[in-house]
Amino acid sequence: MSERDIRLKLENLVKEFPERGGKGTVRAVDSISLNIYSGEFLTLLGPSGCGKTTTLRLIAGFEGPTSGQILLDGKDITPQPPNKRDMALVFQNYALFPHMSVFDNVGYGLQTRGMSRSDIRDKVEESLGLMGLKGLGDRRPNQLSGGQQQRVALARSLIMEPRILLFDEPLSNLDAKLRVQMRSEIHSLQRRLNITSIYVTHDQIEAMALSDRVVVMNGGQIEQIGSPEQIYRYPASRFVADFIGRANFVPVAIDSTNNGTAQINVLGRECQVPLQFDYRAGMDVVAMLRPEVLSLREDPTLQQVQIEQTMYLGSEVEYIVRSGEQTFVVAEKDPRLQKVYSEGGTVGLDYISEAVHLLPA
Amino acid sequence: MMKIGNYTLRWQMVLTILVLTVLCLVWIYPFLWMISASLKTQSEIFSSGLNLIPQEPQWQNYQRAWVDAQFSRYMINTVLITIGTVVLTIISTSLAGYVLGRYTFIGRRPFMALLAGTIFIPAGYTIIPTVDLANKLGLLNSLWGVILVMAGTGNVIHILLFSAYFSSLPKELEEAAVLDGAGFLTVFFRVMLPLAGPVVATVTILKFLGAWNNFFVPLVFTFSRPDLRTLSVGMFAFVGENETDWSGMAAAATISLIPVIIIFFVMQRRFVEGIAGAVKQ
Ligand SMILES: Nc1ncnc2c1ncn2[C@@H]1O[C@H](COP(=O)(O)OP(=O)(O)O)[C@@H](O)[C@H]1O
Ligand SMILES: [Mg+2]
Repeated sequence: MSERDIRLKLENLVKEFPERGGKGTVRAVDSISLNIYSGEFLTLLGPSGCGKTTTLRLIAGFEGPTSGQILLDGKDITPQPPNKRDMALVFQNYALFPHMSVFDNVGYGLQTRGMSRSDIRDKVEESLGLMGLKGLGDRRPNQLSGGQQQRVALARSLIMEPRILLFDEPLSNLDAKLRVQMRSEIHSLQRRLNITSIYVTHDQIEAMALSDRVVVMNGGQIEQIGSPEQIYRYPASRFVADFIGRANFVPVAIDSTNNGTAQINVLGRECQVPLQFDYRAGMDVVAMLRPEVLSLREDPTLQQVQIEQTMYLGSEVEYIVRSGEQTFVVAEKDPRLQKVYSEGGTVGLDYISEAVHLLPA
Repeated sequence: MMKIGNYTLRWQMVLTILVLTVLCLVWIYPFLWMISASLKTQSEIFSSGLNLIPQEPQWQNYQRAWVDAQFSRYMINTVLITIGTVVLTIISTSLAGYVLGRYTFIGRRPFMALLAGTIFIPAGYTIIPTVDLANKLGLLNSLWGVILVMAGTGNVIHILLFSAYFSSLPKELEEAAVLDGAGFLTVFFRVMLPLAGPVVATVTILKFLGAWNNFFVPLVFTFSRPDLRTLSVGMFAFVGENETDWSGMAAAATISLIPVIIIFFVMQRRFVEGIAGAVKQ
């Protein structure tokens, strides 16, 4: 994507808060630089307290940065108040006005903009229809289910046709099933309307399912930016590898490098792995093997492991196996087609060498 | 044991009910006495002892109070003063409570402490400077003067009630309104104040009672303008130099009380919510 498509640009954003009950400061956001492209769905993903909400509130303008800049379509908006930024935010608790009807909640922004009554009526009705809320306009928010309230919150944000739509953990108050359903609704809605979106969550599945790109954050800093596939297959750090899905880590040394591949010895076997980062021969690194990369086979030439646990999960079988000091999680797809090994046995541990990924030690 | 419908009442319960009934009667007896006195003749009031039923209702007592003693005019004055006082108080105390409860600014804590400290200044101590000020502003002997003085005093508790309530509301509500383009006043009057309904009801009732029954301020402020008197001040017209028109006074008192009772019944549910809500914080 070119510079022209950049909708929002964060430059070295820093936000410090006075420490609660102390004299020092807390650096909630620590020098974040980031481009968000027009029409993109970008997710800020990270554990609780890593600064996601603060970053979002800086973007929305509810907090001013300690230093750094925010540019919207090339224009510096850092000093501008939230209502001048042309953004909408879907809050975790929805923040619907309890004393207003659904209709008035959705139409409130248009009303403060001074749009005529009949135009508001048309737009709100259209928006309620789009969100599957037809006929609920007269209800109060507390007469709706959680999922419906979520839709009203979305309708209220979308009706303003903002340049950027912000979400702060919008699905975390819903039960598991509804969460999955709303997730896919948000996904299709965003793709259909092509609205630039920044989404905050601590749920990696949600992030992977929705996003064009995921920004993994830790301790107020960006650990990695990439597509869901990139961050899953080629995590830049052990933190990312651990936070996104599950991973087995094996410390190894690089024997030699050649043409963007490295020669290493993993699980008693020499193999070539593609290099994603700049590693040189002799370096100590960590090989990451996702559970689905590993498999069990009765083959005496493979590294032999003890099966400590066998868990039958329907679509897959999960094993915990031990080789000396190290344990591995192994996930085998579709148990119907494979032998299921029982606990206590010894078996060979195989892996797909192309799927091994090297991380800094 | 006694059976009433499906309920079997034990004697303890019967006793409790009896005791409570007696207490209730003692509690409202003066009120009933006043209503009954308003329908008795002057001599009957003192001759009939505790008996509450008048021999023959003397409706002309009300005629005397309403027309001759000008209570119709006092009623209008009192209603105007009370409404003005309540409206001004709600606007000023809710705004003050909103800012104190929602915003952090330098000096907020000392300011709150100072505010709370003023609760302990007895009201009578401030009347002289208040009258002096009103006089210099040309507000003495006017309804506006009475309204401003009553709306401007004794509000600390109301401010603290609003402050506690507003600080308990999620900040996302304001932020959502701001994103929708609402400015400070719109956020406040369209979103925050309507949500504070229970506190508005509480403060309305407290201030209504205070303004309706206030004697001191309207007395001082209407010394030379009898036509501006309120109900409570007007009551004194029944006390003559040689004799007092007790039955007329009772009728006047009953007239004064009726609006208070109506207001309380209309707003009592929200009133209780407000008090409970404020205590819960
Ligand atoms: N208003 C504030 N005052 C003080 N510290 C804050 C404030 N807001 C957030 N923080 C701190 O900043 C850090 C990041 O918070 P937040 O952005 O809410 O994280 P996340 O949304 O990723 O869970 C946390 O340590 C939090 O305690
Ligand atoms: Mg958060």
